[in-house]
Amino acid sequence: MTRARGRRLPAARAYGVAAAFLVAATLVSALVGAADLNPLDTVTALLHLPSGLSPLDRSVLFQIRLPRIVLGALVGALLSVAGAGYQGVFRNPLVDSGLLGASAGAGLGATLAIVYLGGIGPAAVPAAAFIGSLAGVAIAYLAGAAGGGGPSSGTTTLLLAGVAVGLFLTAVQTYVLQRSAQDLQQVYSWLLGSLSGATWQQAGEIVPYAAVSVTVIVLHGRHLDVLSVGDEEARALGLHPGRTRLIVVAACALAAASAVAVSGLIGFVGIVVPHVVRRLAGTSYRLVLPLSLLSGGGFLVLADTLARTVVSPAELPIGVVTALAGSPVFVWILRTTQAVRT
Amino acid sequence: MLVTSSLSRTILAAATAAALAGCASSASSASSAPPASPASSAASSASTGAAGSQFPVTVTASNGTVTIKARPARIVSLAPTATEDLYAVGAGSQVVAVDQDSDYPATAPVTKLSGLTPNLEAIAKYRPDLVVASQNSGGLVSGLTRLGIPVLIEPAVTSLDGAYQQIDQIGQATGHLTAAQKVTAAMKTQIAATVRHAGSSHPSVTYYWELTANPYYSVTSATFIGQIVALFGLKNIADAADKASDGGYPQLSEEYIVKAQPQIIFLADNQAADGGQTPAVVAKRPGWSAIPAVKDHEVIGLNDDIASRWGPRLPQLVAEIAQAVEQASR
Amino acid sequence: MNAITVDELSVDLDRVEILHGVSCAVPAGGWLALIGPNGAGKTTLLRAVAGLLPHRGTIQVNDQDLGALRGRGRARLIAYLPQIPVLPPDMTVRDYVLLGRTPYLGYLSAPGRSDRAKAAEASERLDVTRFAGRRLGSLSGGERQRVRLARALAQEPRVLLLDEPANDLDIGHQQQVLELVDDLRRTRGVTVVSTLHDLTQAGQYAGHLVLLAGGQVEASGAPAEVLTQELIARVYAARVTVTPGPVVTPVRESPKKL
Repeated sequence: MTRARGRRLPAARAYGVAAAFLVAATLVSALVGAADLNPLDTVTALLHLPSGLSPLDRSVLFQIRLPRIVLGALVGALLSVAGAGYQGVFRNPLVDSGLLGASAGAGLGATLAIVYLGGIGPAAVPAAAFIGSLAGVAIAYLAGAAGGGGPSSGTTTLLLAGVAVGLFLTAVQTYVLQRSAQDLQQVYSWLLGSLSGATWQQAGEIVPYAAVSVTVIVLHGRHLDVLSVGDEEARALGLHPGRTRLIVVAACALAAASAVAVSGLIGFVGIVVPHVVRRLAGTSYRLVLPLSLLSGGGFLVLADTLARTVVSPAELPIGVVTALAGSPVFVWILRTTQAVRT
Repeated sequence: MLVTSSLSRTILAAATAAALAGCASSASSASSAPPASPASSAASSASTGAAGSQFPVTVTASNGTVTIKARPARIVSLAPTATEDLYAVGAGSQVVAVDQDSDYPATAPVTKLSGLTPNLEAIAKYRPDLVVASQNSGGLVSGLTRLGIPVLIEPAVTSLDGAYQQIDQIGQATGHLTAAQKVTAAMKTQIAATVRHAGSSHPSVTYYWELTANPYYSVTSATFIGQIVALFGLKNIADAADKASDGGYPQLSEEYIVKAQPQIIFLADNQAADGGQTPAVVAKRPGWSAIPAVKDHEVIGLNDDIASRWGPRLPQLVAEIAQAVEQASR
Repeated sequence: MNAITVDELSVDLDRVEILHGVSCAVPAGGWLALIGPNGAGKTTLLRAVAGLLPHRGTIQVNDQDLGALRGRGRARLIAYLPQIPVLPPDMTVRDYVLLGRTPYLGYLSAPGRSDRAKAAEASERLDVTRFAGRRLGSLSGGERQRVRLARALAQEPRVLLLDEPANDLDIGHQQQVLELVDDLRRTRGVTVVSTLHDLTQAGQYAGHLVLLAGGQVEASGAPAEVLTQELIARVYAARVTVTPGPVVTPVRESPKKL
């Protein structure tokens, strides 16, 4: 992909910064933790050089800490790129990856699995959350696209349908929870989001879905740029807005569902990361999407590092950390967005 | 996600109901019966340790069969009941860390570890060769398995026999089987004696066991607690209200409780950290003064910790209940 | 040879018939101005010719039936600028003009060197190259119109459809923009169809006028034929005098003096 001569440096530099951020976050995260591993030994062990780590410490590094970091980077990347994709499709910077009933559907799926399928085993919950997330988006999309003048009826109907579906699914979830008090704690801790207990197997399971969804989303960056001038002008330029929307929404839903299945509900990542990326690298989705991938991964790895070290050995729910970090940024976004409109 | 204050109190109910860790509090026993003597077990552990069980030993806990290759010397306990069990069978000297909610015995090495949200790295830091917990949360078993550390999950029991079996299993896993069997035998004897003294048949005496207030959660006779009270032949007012979906922990309305007119009220939420529902507070609840238990001062504040655990201090709980029963039948 | 031929066109919006049996034609390289009172259907006619509305009747562009043209093929032929555009405030001028190359890009392709060259050329033509790095939100009204025209020009269209291109511009910028469009028409042979509020302007720039009222063609022809006092009075219910040019001047009765 060629770039115009005048822009060659800034784009490449943006990629460099984002990649460096991800690598730095990963390194920092690998060096700290409740097990107090010796940093130097950790580095040599990571480089597959002879290291002073005991066998138990090695296991901690490679079986407990590293899978958690990798999963955190994956989840952060997925949530960020899904959020950015939704923001492009809906031309709205206040949109999150949990949109269109994705979060509510995942929450309901997980709740039903915990309450009614507890006997089947721990694998039931991620699968149910995944299916629930996709189902939520599907229902919202069908409800929103059915109303109004067909596929180009615009984004407002779809957004409102998403809100309605989300509220409904959450209400059902609350009802189910109220009837089964003994599962409350388990459901609640799932809802708050957590990367503890991450395994290489989990990471491996979501990689195929992640690869497919991320590829589709990133390949539609240019289309999202065209969409930003509105459905009518986009059609006049030769795009099919309804079809583009469907493809991108489906891919974002898959990305968000994969992330949520393994990590629970983690908010703010999908809104905050793309917006910070936009501030620093411009609004073109051809850049924003891949940069959100890299930065989102780094962001969540950092957040998880904080979550598992600040009150060690206790852990803050990661959703709390992202919210605490994300809310001030969110408010800042609102204020600066308003300023531009005048 | 809608979380209201009543939901968070329900979380507390669930935690207590599932007999998870209670809160730190001074355990002041009103019972006159001597507790199952952990001191004597500890004194004899030196002589019974070697002869108690041989290693490697394989036990079947709630997380499947676990093989412990050698006598564990660095045990981490992540549950208050497990901690009490470990010390009761004489394995106290092998314990290097217990979770933040394990407050008995006071000599146990309390740390900031959590049994509800375990941190694998923090646990690994203690280099344990055995971990005992009461629930498999946050991938605890899978994580410890990947680290090569054996783990026993000893969950809340559903019967007195279950409690005895757990103590025996912990004894076997730590090399104190004989001592453990002595502890459980003493528990059985004590409880039998208490029941004999108070009488095992009181069909006309009704009771209400309160886990939480607002909303009011109770226990049915099918639960572990319910079975203990059933030793005395009391009638539980919550039985009629139980539905299959409640799992033995139904929510009762105030009207229901008042109409049922229980003669004894057991409060498992009377300590300040659990809700502070003391007998005095209960007496002031509007409409409750009509209840026989309130009128006759048969509202009993239990030791919340003992009432939420299933360990060696069970005879104390039984004794507290017996005292209330004897008083009510006068 | 007609670049655009519209025959018996009818268009419904929300089940209300907006256009009824409209017929008109534009010669290649000509300029057709659509005039008429508010709600006459001028914008609807323009959108129909842009291929954005389902219609009854035929529309032919360059001897091809509009219905046979799809997506990118149509966009390579026709550039459409609506009256109220969506201008993402944070998008740079460079990126915005580059959007005009969309019809020439494959589904998964990104703009190549030649696309950027053509976009740069269009920007140069409209004199917006010096704004290339600026955000759309920071431009004035006249600058914005030129940027929009640059995007349309980057599409290399044969037909340019403009809805009220002089809207919200002061008289100087109005002339500037309309002169630019006329220049494009003359040097590149682009066919222009525009709606214009100002009747005199319509007469000055367009070679052919169509007067629409109530969704139907009331008059069609050269400016001098359509811009008559009698027609304007009937269709617009307005009092005007028309002097040679033609120049349409609104007339006001002297207000009653106190």
